[in-house]
Amino acid sequence: MSRKVSDLLTKGIIYLATGITLSVLLFIVGFIFIKGIGLVNWDFLTRDFNEKVVYAFIESNDVSLSLDEETLNGKMPFDKRYETHLEGPIYIENIGAAIAKVAYKNHSTEREQVVITYIEKDSPFDSAKDSTGKNITIGTDYILQSINGTDFSGMTLAEVAETISAESGELKIKIVQPGGGIKSNIITTLYMVLLSLLVALPLGIFGAIYLTEYAKPGRLVNMIRFAAECLAGIPSIIFGLFGMAFFVVALNFQISLISGSLTVAIILLPVIIRSTEEALKTVPMAFREGSLALGATKLQTIFKVVLPCAVPGIATAVLLSIGRVVGESAALLLTAGTVAQIPGTLFSPGSTLTVQAYYVAKEEGNIELACAIGIVIIVIVIVLNILSRITSDKLDVFNKK
Amino acid sequence: MDANIKFNTKNLNLFYGDFQALKAINMEIREKEVTAFIGPSGCGKSTFLRCLNRMNDLIDSVKINGEIIFDGQDINGTIDVINLRTRVGMVFQKPNPFPMSIYDNIAYGPKCQGLKDKNQLDTLVKESLMKAALWEEVKDRLNKSALGLSGGQQQRLCIARTIAMNPEVILMDEPTSALDPIATAKIEDLMSSLKKDYTIIIVTHSMQQAGRISDKTAFFLMGEVIEFNETPIIFTNPQDKRTEDYITGRFG
Ligand SMILES: Nc1ncnc2c1ncn2[C@@H]1O[C@H](COP(=O)(O)OP(=O)(O)O)[C@@H](O)[C@H]1O
Ligand SMILES: [Mg+2]
Repeated sequence: MSRKVSDLLTKGIIYLATGITLSVLLFIVGFIFIKGIGLVNWDFLTRDFNEKVVYAFIESNDVSLSLDEETLNGKMPFDKRYETHLEGPIYIENIGAAIAKVAYKNHSTEREQVVITYIEKDSPFDSAKDSTGKNITIGTDYILQSINGTDFSGMTLAEVAETISAESGELKIKIVQPGGGIKSNIITTLYMVLLSLLVALPLGIFGAIYLTEYAKPGRLVNMIRFAAECLAGIPSIIFGLFGMAFFVVALNFQISLISGSLTVAIILLPVIIRSTEEALKTVPMAFREGSLALGATKLQTIFKVVLPCAVPGIATAVLLSIGRVVGESAALLLTAGTVAQIPGTLFSPGSTLTVQAYYVAKEEGNIELACAIGIVIIVIVIVLNILSRITSDKLDVFNKK
Repeated sequence: MDANIKFNTKNLNLFYGDFQALKAINMEIREKEVTAFIGPSGCGKSTFLRCLNRMNDLIDSVKINGEIIFDGQDINGTIDVINLRTRVGMVFQKPNPFPMSIYDNIAYGPKCQGLKDKNQLDTLVKESLMKAALWEEVKDRLNKSALGLSGGQQQRLCIARTIAMNPEVILMDEPTSALDPIATAKIEDLMSSLKKDYTIIIVTHSMQQAGRISDKTAFFLMGEVIEFNETPIIFTNPQDKRTEDYITGRFG
């Protein structure tokens, strides 16, 4: 009887624990998605994070509107969360575009702005150039601030429309490219993944080869293994501090892509060494013997027979590493910085998605934006997961029959 | 010195740490003969075989003293181990084809020696497979993984792989113990046909097999060679009581 009760109780606890774990997981992912999904769209992924002011030069040219009024009114491509519609839209023929007045909320400040809501086919904007004569793209949601020196601030939308219509010939328009996108963060993240793997993967694989194939078991090997285990357990902020002191300051790499990726590479090393070691250990001794018995050297045996067998294991290491880089924040905050820009060189700073999420949540209090970045991170991790699984299956020498 | 002697061991002792696995072995193995090693399991047959191409180098605890003379050279002395292994091939108890294509398995050894020419490799692969009586079965699937072959085919592939190195000696450690009778018969046929070109040394768990294929047989017991003689003599007229007990199945 009492055994029945205790069995039942244990079972209940097991189910409860599973239930709690699952619901917490679902809750977190659900929360992130619900909070952030409203912001995730193509513009969000492809725009720069910061607004950019540019002067656009266009040749005014009357283009008539091809839409009826209702359709035009319906063209409000901007994001409702950020912009409150105030007036318009009004179509202006000499620039071939419709404009509207909105309260444009950029991060924490709220400003009234004139924005483009629709660009007609063959509009002069299609051939807009910047001051150096280079073509620039102008799209909906871009902010118009002045034309040929006349500033729009304080004007009603009708007055703005009148001002624009009155101009002719070459127009010099001050335009603000909208920000709020995470293109640079996505690219920085990819750079960071590639660079850190480029450094850590060969080092880790050669280290693992040394440990499993060359080192005589004993003190030294145990010490190296112990060091690697310890390294794996140290919180990444410590590596960040080291990276800052060593790469950023001592080697004078500055807060940059290279400082960040070298720091992360150190964080990755233990994971890569350990997974590769495990993978190498599972390669049957019979393959090594078979190869050596054919007069192959040890190095040939390792590179032609043993390593190819270990590829699935190494792919797992790569997968774990990617997750680690994408998820890393503390160390990168200190070594690669929080500048939302595409790093032009190895020595330029850049912020990864995770750092950016931290930054907008902490510094700008914008939880929605942070969650939207979170969604992108989750999707990237899932996609990379699937990709590396497919490649590791493809490369698995034991799969091919 | 007799020019027909391929291997000559003199007072060979082998230790795994403190455990002596081979005790004062003196044996002359002749060229282009099949020599079989029989004996109860754990008596040192594999250990001795693995001395002949220095596979025991892989085991750290192994200490060897005594001499193993191969074609007049001490294999633990000046000889290059890579060179030794190209001349003394080995086929293992469990078929161990590499997880690569059939073609690549055969081409592996020659490629490691630096052979790159595609035509030469093609010919070599074909010849080796023909000698191993496997060509007809695999000629249409050379680029398929060797792991898709049956156990017997895999073992013949391993033999073909060894033949591709054009060795002088082929060591075989119970090559049929993992195979069914039909596959075993094929491998035994193969050995008889290889005999004219190669010196074959085979460890076997089956006395019938030794009787069928070998010219000479050595009976091992607890690290010692009790008796080494012409196979018919070992099986019909053994000189030692222990050999007789073993071959008549009266052995504990
Ligand atoms: N790597 C090893 N380390 C220690 N002892 C070993 C090792 N390999 C074999 N032995 C021992 O050496 C003896 C001979 O083994 P082996 O040559 O494999 O015998 P056989 O092939 O005749 O069955 C056995 O007692 C075995 O336990
Ligand atoms: Mg054995």
